[in-house]
Amino acid sequence: MIAPSAYLLLSAILFGIGVVGVVARKNILIILMSVELMLNGVNVAFVAAGSYLGDAAGGVFAFMVMTVAAAEAAVGLALLIALYRLKETVDITELKVLKW
Amino acid sequence: MFLGNLASLRYFLPEFAVTATILLLVVLHVVTKSPRSTASGFLSLLGVGAAIFLAGVAPAGAGRSIFEGMVAHDGFAVFFKVLTALATLVVIFMSMDSRDLAGRSQAEYYIFLLSTLLGMFLLSSATDIVMLYLALELVSIPSYLLAGYLKGQERSTEAAMKYVVYGATASGVMIYGFSILFGLTGSTQVAEIGRSLAAGKATLPMLLASVMVAVGFGYKIAAVPFHMWSPDVYEGAPTPATAFFSVGPKAAGFAVLVRFYYTVFAAADPGTGLWRLTSAVDWPFLFAALSALTMTVGNLVAVKQSNVKRLLAYSSIAHAGYMLMGFVLLSSAGIEAILFYLVVYLFMNLGAFYVVVLVSNATRGEEISDFTGLGSRAPFAAVALSIFLFALTGIPPFSGFIGKVYLFAEVIHRGVYWLAVVAALNSVVSLYYYTRIVRAMFFEEPKDASAIPVPAVSGALLVLLVAPTLILGVYWEPVARIAADSVRMLAF
Amino acid sequence: MVNGILDYLWLVPALPLLGVVLNGAIALLVERPFLLKEAGLPLAGGHGAGHGSHDDAHGASSHGSAHGHHETPAYRKLVAFIAPGVVGAAFVVALLCVLSLASRPADGRTFVQILFPWIQAGSLLVPAALQLDPLSSVMALVVTGVGFLIHVYSVGYMSHERAFARYFVFLNLFMFAMLILVLANNYLLMFVGWEGVGLCSYLLIGFWYEKQSASDAGKKAFVANRIGDFGVLLAMFLVFWTFGSLTYTEVFAKVPLLRESGVLTTGLATVITLLLFLGATGKSAQIPLYVWLPDAMEGPTPVSALIHAATMVTAGVYMVARSSALFLLAPDTMMVVAVIGAVTAIFSATIGICQTDIKRVLAYSTVSQLGYMFLACGVGAFTAAIFHLMTHAFFKALLFLGSGSVIHALSGEQDMQKMGGLKKYVPVTFATMFVATLAIAGIPGLSGFFSKDEILWQAFSSSHGSPFLWGIAALAAGITAFYMFRLVFLTFFGKSRMDPEVEKHAHESPWTMTVPLMILAVLSVAGGWIGIPAVLGGSNLFEHWLAPVFHPVAAAGAAHGAEAAVHHPAALEIGLMALSVAIALCGIGLAYFLYRVRTGKPAEIAKQWPTLYDVVYHKYYIDEFYEWAVIRRIVTISIGLWEMFDALFIDGIVNGAADLVRAAGDRVRRLQGGVVGGYAFSLLAGAVLLVGYILYRSVVQ
Repeated sequence: MIAPSAYLLLSAILFGIGVVGVVARKNILIILMSVELMLNGVNVAFVAAGSYLGDAAGGVFAFMVMTVAAAEAAVGLALLIALYRLKETVDITELKVLKW
Repeated sequence: MFLGNLASLRYFLPEFAVTATILLLVVLHVVTKSPRSTASGFLSLLGVGAAIFLAGVAPAGAGRSIFEGMVAHDGFAVFFKVLTALATLVVIFMSMDSRDLAGRSQAEYYIFLLSTLLGMFLLSSATDIVMLYLALELVSIPSYLLAGYLKGQERSTEAAMKYVVYGATASGVMIYGFSILFGLTGSTQVAEIGRSLAAGKATLPMLLASVMVAVGFGYKIAAVPFHMWSPDVYEGAPTPATAFFSVGPKAAGFAVLVRFYYTVFAAADPGTGLWRLTSAVDWPFLFAALSALTMTVGNLVAVKQSNVKRLLAYSSIAHAGYMLMGFVLLSSAGIEAILFYLVVYLFMNLGAFYVVVLVSNATRGEEISDFTGLGSRAPFAAVALSIFLFALTGIPPFSGFIGKVYLFAEVIHRGVYWLAVVAALNSVVSLYYYTRIVRAMFFEEPKDASAIPVPAVSGALLVLLVAPTLILGVYWEPVARIAADSVRMLAF
Repeated sequence: MVNGILDYLWLVPALPLLGVVLNGAIALLVERPFLLKEAGLPLAGGHGAGHGSHDDAHGASSHGSAHGHHETPAYRKLVAFIAPGVVGAAFVVALLCVLSLASRPADGRTFVQILFPWIQAGSLLVPAALQLDPLSSVMALVVTGVGFLIHVYSVGYMSHERAFARYFVFLNLFMFAMLILVLANNYLLMFVGWEGVGLCSYLLIGFWYEKQSASDAGKKAFVANRIGDFGVLLAMFLVFWTFGSLTYTEVFAKVPLLRESGVLTTGLATVITLLLFLGATGKSAQIPLYVWLPDAMEGPTPVSALIHAATMVTAGVYMVARSSALFLLAPDTMMVVAVIGAVTAIFSATIGICQTDIKRVLAYSTVSQLGYMFLACGVGAFTAAIFHLMTHAFFKALLFLGSGSVIHALSGEQDMQKMGGLKKYVPVTFATMFVATLAIAGIPGLSGFFSKDEILWQAFSSSHGSPFLWGIAALAAGITAFYMFRLVFLTFFGKSRMDPEVEKHAHESPWTMTVPLMILAVLSVAGGWIGIPAVLGGSNLFEHWLAPVFHPVAAAGAAHGAEAAVHHPAALEIGLMALSVAIALCGIGLAYFLYRVRTGKPAEIAKQWPTLYDVVYHKYYIDEFYEWAVIRRIVTISIGLWEMFDALFIDGIVNGAADLVRAAGDRVRRLQGGVVGGYAFSLLAGAVLLVGYILYRSVVQ
């Protein structure tokens, strides 16, 4: 039996890695993956809390998050393709037409 | 008392109307030969019109909780459904008129627009954090697509890409907050979470959770410092979509903000019209600071803008700041002021964007320099835009003034003088950049002096937007009463 | 309760507003592009101006017009239909409402229609509500009735004006504001109308704004009125502070109560009423603020007739009469009102003697007649004031419209020295103007006789009056008769002194102009018959109609009337009447002698007393005195202030603040660098800061 706090720690670490990825990486693909990582951190927290509380809602929420994450990734990747066709780059720092 | 799924269906008719329209649009898109047919626009008008009718026709009464406690059906939700649907209706007209969108597939655009509307319906009535999250994403994901709808245009695509990354991050932070709340209370019901939290003391996780949730909602209403996405997205997106973002999702964001915070962290004192904090998290102070920050940043940066769309984006950030003033007061009158302001804001902001659409249809640009001499090139549009801008500034006798009076009066009444002073100073700053456009329209020589034709239908719609902006400046009683009634039903 | 037609009272101001909207749309969408195209200018810069047409001369002339050959565009026909149409409809509705009101018992003749709760701020509850009672019904009928005729007249008079629709937008807007003014049920809404008519007056005086004198005149009117408005604002504040309300019925109902409890002292009432009267002197052109009205003649002539003779300038009289309950509490104010009225009446009448511009004579005559009305108010004869207001609206509107018709016939000539013998060219204009002149001179049987005599009698017999006031007023009446007949003789009789070129084109005006003249002529004759005093065998219906409004007055007057019956037998009243008629006839006789028999005499007199003539001709140098005593001082002081204070200090602050804002804006916007990673970072940093902020606060507490 692993203590619930360990799961929560794991979830926080996953979430943190994801956040750092979003902020620091330049490749949009990696950034989208980092977002997935953040969401997975959240999922771990939900499932852990659900199992600790004996409440199925935690698991349900995690499934919902996965579904939404899939939709989000689909849209993100579609836009990325459109962007790549236009600019032939996946570097987020090149997206600087709109600023100030 | 939660209603079961089957019993709930009859209170879900506006959502059904929108869903049915979306499905019909999908079918239409498949069967029709010409993707540019305006049929889908008219179909959407019909569907949204039906939704407004269905939402507005049946009074919510004391309110009820439907779908096993997932969604509330009360006056507050009905108010926001009508409001957001009205905004969508105007935006559909605007989109049918826009030259940017004219050469593109129509049905898909309206499918995204109406999906967002469905999301806004759910967002303004969600009472369970699972539903809340789903609704928020249902608003966000089609919005990304709307922002990037001008495929092949660099600005539009860039805007959409930024929007996806920022939106996904913000909502990720928000559900992390939700997971903490769920862990702390063992419930996904907003009301239940509130009751559990009221018992305990303020702890660091609770505090973290409240701020993380604020990130998600702050992103939706574009409050500083969670506003960074909005100027870029507003500038890059097709103008009708920009107008839509600045009113619809923002209104829905306020709906969920008010409902969530007033249910989880506060409780109504019966009979007094006041609320008290139930948990030790001092979020009103937090949001008061955000409010001041939001209006100040929005107005300051707007001063330096030369693109009218981007200027209006910053202006709409500033307006979110004004509206947040009502949110922090813990009084029904404060929320009432927000609701009233949203109605006023709906007309004046959509109106301003509509003129931008008309001008950019002709000039292919949205710089202030494209507006020079509009007073002689299209006098009616210029006068209308001036009215909208003066209303946005909050000058009497236009509706924006009354909206601000309600907000300021309540802020002063509750003794938050510093916030009123900040807001007043901000209004002065805003006068500067709004009048800059007016000056360009009437006092500067245009490069090209040819007349800009305003089609009769566009003129009529403009009149329909000008009329409430003028009328609500002198006769606002019914709207104020509706707003007051809608607040009263919030607590259930 | 069913009120029948009265429930449609709101239509009375709403119809002209509809006209504003419709004509405004036409002016903006049709006329403006049309004028721009015609002017050949793509841009609006000068409104296509500078192309003829911009003085009264041109507006009135069909000759020598550079653009007189254009087809009448269809939109002008539409405007010519809408603008008078809505006002006519408003008149019909007002008439039906008044008839319905008249069918009620005398003490139930106050109908209030609440449109919507307007302002609710703390204890200040002001509804937007209309009130129809005998007083406001007289005003509403005069305004809509005379207004309708002048609208019809304008269609003909302005037919050569390029900005046709714009003119009617302003005119309809004026009607709306004026009706709000007279129909409001509280001081605040009245003030909205008050400011509205001021705005329209300003816009219409400066209608031909390319002309320097026109825009100067507009400015002068604006400044004089602002001084008065300041008084009204202060008075309103005091009224609210004293009575806790601004609604007429509530305020006046509280008067006896507050009087007893000692809250409403005579001093307070004096201050309030004096401030109100200050506003009235501005709007109604009384000493010392009358100077703007003669200059206001720069506007188109129908505007002079409507705004600066028949309706707007009487707003001050209306307000004083409306507040009669307050004025009666302040005997000092009453005396001031009476004296100012009487002095204005004679003072401006003497100026009228020497003027040669036909419209200026009428303008000073208007100032003088308004003086009569205030004299009546000052002696407590509010009914007589309103009665004279009404008859004056008829004959003075007629005189102005007639003079407009003359000017129209003479291609814009306004100088009476270049007229003469016009009788045969413009017979209808002559006949109707002659009737009006008889009326204003106070010839028995015509409307002016009854109303003026009522005032003279009250000035003599009322408890506030005195034989001295009667003397001044009677003398002024004689002078009035003199200068009015001088005007008629110079214009219509004798040999022609016209420019031959002008004379060739002299013509009678079209029917749209002459029909209103004829209707007004009938009213100038018969309008007074509803107020024939008892001593002449009449029943004075007018006084009975207004009695409920001036009820406290009537009550006081009843006691006083019994007293008067003792001291002033009917023979005295008849005698005084005969005397005033005799004085008027003397004035007419003198005019006949000087301008028909010994036509060289006036010039001789002027030579004989050059100084006197010069002073009167130059309007007693009042404008020059104001220029020297007020304007120059203010300019000197303000230049000093500007140099010392404004340029150094205020400008520094304002410009500094603006620079600061711009600089700050520039800094802040650099934060938005365009890279999403940075955005996401700011999101997280913001969240962390917020958590820190809350923690810090919870630790501090």
